[in-house]
Amino acid sequence: MSAQNPTVHRAASDPLDELDGGLAIAPGEVLERVWHLFISMRFGLLLMLVLALLTLVGTMLVQVPAGMKGDPQAYVQWIDGVRPKYGGWTNVLDALGFFDIFNSLVFKAVAIFLVTSTVACSVNRAPLLWKQTTKPRMNVSDAFFAHAPHRAALDVPQDGSEAAAQVVAALRSKGYRTLTQTTGDGAIHVYADRFRWAPFGTVVAHLSLVPIILGAMIGGSMGFKNTDFVLPIGTKTDVGAGTSLSVMATSFTDRYYADTGQPADYASDLVLYDGGRQVAAQTIRVNEPLRYGDVTFYQSFFGPAAEIKVADAGGRVTWDAGVPLRWGTNDELERAGVFPLPDSNLTVVVYGAQSGRQDPDIKAGQVRIEAYQGVADFPSASQKMVDSKVVDQGKPASIAGLTFTFVREQQFTGLIVAKDPGAPFVWFGAALLFLGVCVVFFFHNRRIWAIVHGRAGGSSVSVAAVVRHDVTYRQEFEQLIDGVRASLGAGTVA
Amino acid sequence: MFKMSEYSFVAGLLATGLALIVYLLAFASLRLARSRTAYAGAGGPALGNAAMPTVTVTSGTTRGGLGTYATIITWLAFVFLTAALIFRAIHTGHGPFANMYEFSIAFAWGTLGGYLYFERKYRQRVLALVALPVALAMMLYATTIPATAEPLVPALQNNLLLTVHVAVAIIAYGTFSVAFGAAVLHLVQPATGRRGLPRPELLDEISYRAVVIGFPFLTLVIVLGAVWADVAWGSYWSWDPKETASLVTWLIYGAYLHARVVRGWRGNKAALLLVLGFAATLFTYFGNLFFGGLHSYSGLNNNN
Ligand code: HEM
Repeated sequence: MSAQNPTVHRAASDPLDELDGGLAIAPGEVLERVWHLFISMRFGLLLMLVLALLTLVGTMLVQVPAGMKGDPQAYVQWIDGVRPKYGGWTNVLDALGFFDIFNSLVFKAVAIFLVTSTVACSVNRAPLLWKQTTKPRMNVSDAFFAHAPHRAALDVPQDGSEAAAQVVAALRSKGYRTLTQTTGDGAIHVYADRFRWAPFGTVVAHLSLVPIILGAMIGGSMGFKNTDFVLPIGTKTDVGAGTSLSVMATSFTDRYYADTGQPADYASDLVLYDGGRQVAAQTIRVNEPLRYGDVTFYQSFFGPAAEIKVADAGGRVTWDAGVPLRWGTNDELERAGVFPLPDSNLTVVVYGAQSGRQDPDIKAGQVRIEAYQGVADFPSASQKMVDSKVVDQGKPASIAGLTFTFVREQQFTGLIVAKDPGAPFVWFGAALLFLGVCVVFFFHNRRIWAIVHGRAGGSSVSVAAVVRHDVTYRQEFEQLIDGVRASLGAGTVA
Repeated sequence: MFKMSEYSFVAGLLATGLALIVYLLAFASLRLARSRTAYAGAGGPALGNAAMPTVTVTSGTTRGGLGTYATIITWLAFVFLTAALIFRAIHTGHGPFANMYEFSIAFAWGTLGGYLYFERKYRQRVLALVALPVALAMMLYATTIPATAEPLVPALQNNLLLTVHVAVAIIAYGTFSVAFGAAVLHLVQPATGRRGLPRPELLDEISYRAVVIGFPFLTLVIVLGAVWADVAWGSYWSWDPKETASLVTWLIYGAYLHARVVRGWRGNKAALLLVLGFAATLFTYFGNLFFGGLHSYSGLNNNN
């Protein structure tokens, strides 16, 4: 077996190694070394196992939630939160990127190496497979017939061409394709195969990794995913993230199982606008998202909201919309929602009682409204509270010099909005992968060689086959030989 | 229907236990007979005789019956479990994917089915000594879980996709159990083989045949899981622990398929990968218990 033989992984005793020649390798010492590394099965095997190990680490270690990655302060807080669990290892694991392992350099590098190696293996092997399939070798050596793992030799009374015809017929009856060639010495060579394209399943399975990883990269760089897109009912909200889309939930319904109280179904009626023009309307629920182009809206969560109306001293309404009460308070008695009040320098926080809890402060039909100095999406500790009041539903109250009305209780719906232009590539790759794997495993490629030598009073027939790792093939082969023997009325088996 | 399902399950459990005992007896009596007749073979079975199984419990005239009975009882257990799954599906109106109780029975069913398929094909009843305990353990585990059928949460209301997803997973897991069984029998004997056990080459072959079925199915499980995740959660892959664990499993079996053709990795190392692969399978399967539910929602949906 030459060093450049691409089929290095074959069994040493495999006579096909001699049969299939090596391939030329690109020049350049370093390049050649790298190439050899990447086409080496041992290296590929190592990569698969290392990737498996890293992935396993990812399932065992808590991973930082997506929302905290972009925010260094939140990240530090999160790390401190897991410190008690991992102790002195925390910093080490953090430095290795193991708390966000699937985005770590190590993981990405190993994954890309694996895909590269897989592609290299196929590129290396494909020409050889192609040759084997389209121009199978007809003449195999006598040594092959003498040493092949599956072989038989028969002495038959028929003359050479008659015997060869019978061999061909027997092979054909088993679904083999046959090729015949007579050489100068009068020997008749028969080559037969079944499912000769099946080995390309491996190539397909290997190359399928390319669209998959490509799609993942496209999705990662050109897509977005907002898992926390909150819509109060009846308020049109921009999707943002570079799109010209806005969306409004016109209603929300939820249904519960009577016996367990578990949600049975929840659904939002969505209207989608592109550049202000309505482009779609659909009821979405879990498992029934709204798709528009490559942007998809998924029903994810829901909760209570309070419709609040604010008017300034002159009676002009500056806010009239639902405020999602998205956050639970630490004592779990209340829920809170926040909005920056337009045309003012105030951030407003609305508190409602958590359902099913007795809150001493807020009764049913009430909310507490707090106004903070300064505009923010979320009031920070440095913002000063200007005013606060518990208000009854439907009764206007004066807070910070403005008139606030708690109009009514509502619900909000929480969506996942995702855009993934890479997904089609991934689906394409996944389909190829499955297809390729099925072809390799469910269609067994078989190759058989036979040679018929005429001699006085008959001829001698040798048949041999090579089948990689398939002990059961023996039975199949023996049946085949029995068939040949029966039709030839043959005697001795060498 | 619920009661019928329960009864069938218990019958299946008992039958599996009984079958295991009979297999053990058959195997023990065979060994006993072997040592008594002072088997003076010429250094074990001939390697070239590839298709000849070393242990055929059926072959002995007196003990043969025992092995056959074991097989019959295993078939019976399989039929009971099939009935249990069908009755339960009629009762709940969906496939066995809603909780660990249902899925554990299905896992045991897959293991028994996988074993029976390979028993028919290779006639190596010794495999039962590993495969049946796996099935039995799954069923015993199921008995510790309340059998009541809870209504489905919305994310699980994707009947067809999930039923196919789980059916395919069961076949994959069943074949991996068989591969695991053969790998264990491979690892407990020296490279030259041990009398009374199938030859290492044959075990290697059985494992490979099992993985050859299991690997495409596992690939499909993962792809279908991705389709479901895409429809329900907004991305085909979100490194959820369950997905991630199944990827680990897939990579290990992928590594195994390649290891078999790398010199120095054949034999024991490949068998070791199968044991690892099965450990990963179980880890994926029981993953829910360690990681908490499937994908975690934003936590708000139950606070309304
Ligand atoms: C995750 C990545 C990979 C997948 C899914 C994959 C898939 C497959 C499958 C399904 C087979 C058929 C196995 C069999 O017939 O038993 C195969 C064979 C093969 N793989 Fe891979 N493979 C991967 C990575 C690699 C790598 C990294 C290499 C090289 C370093 C490689 C080299 C080969 C070769 C040479 C064969 C053909 C063996 C033969 O038929 O002689 N594969 N691969």
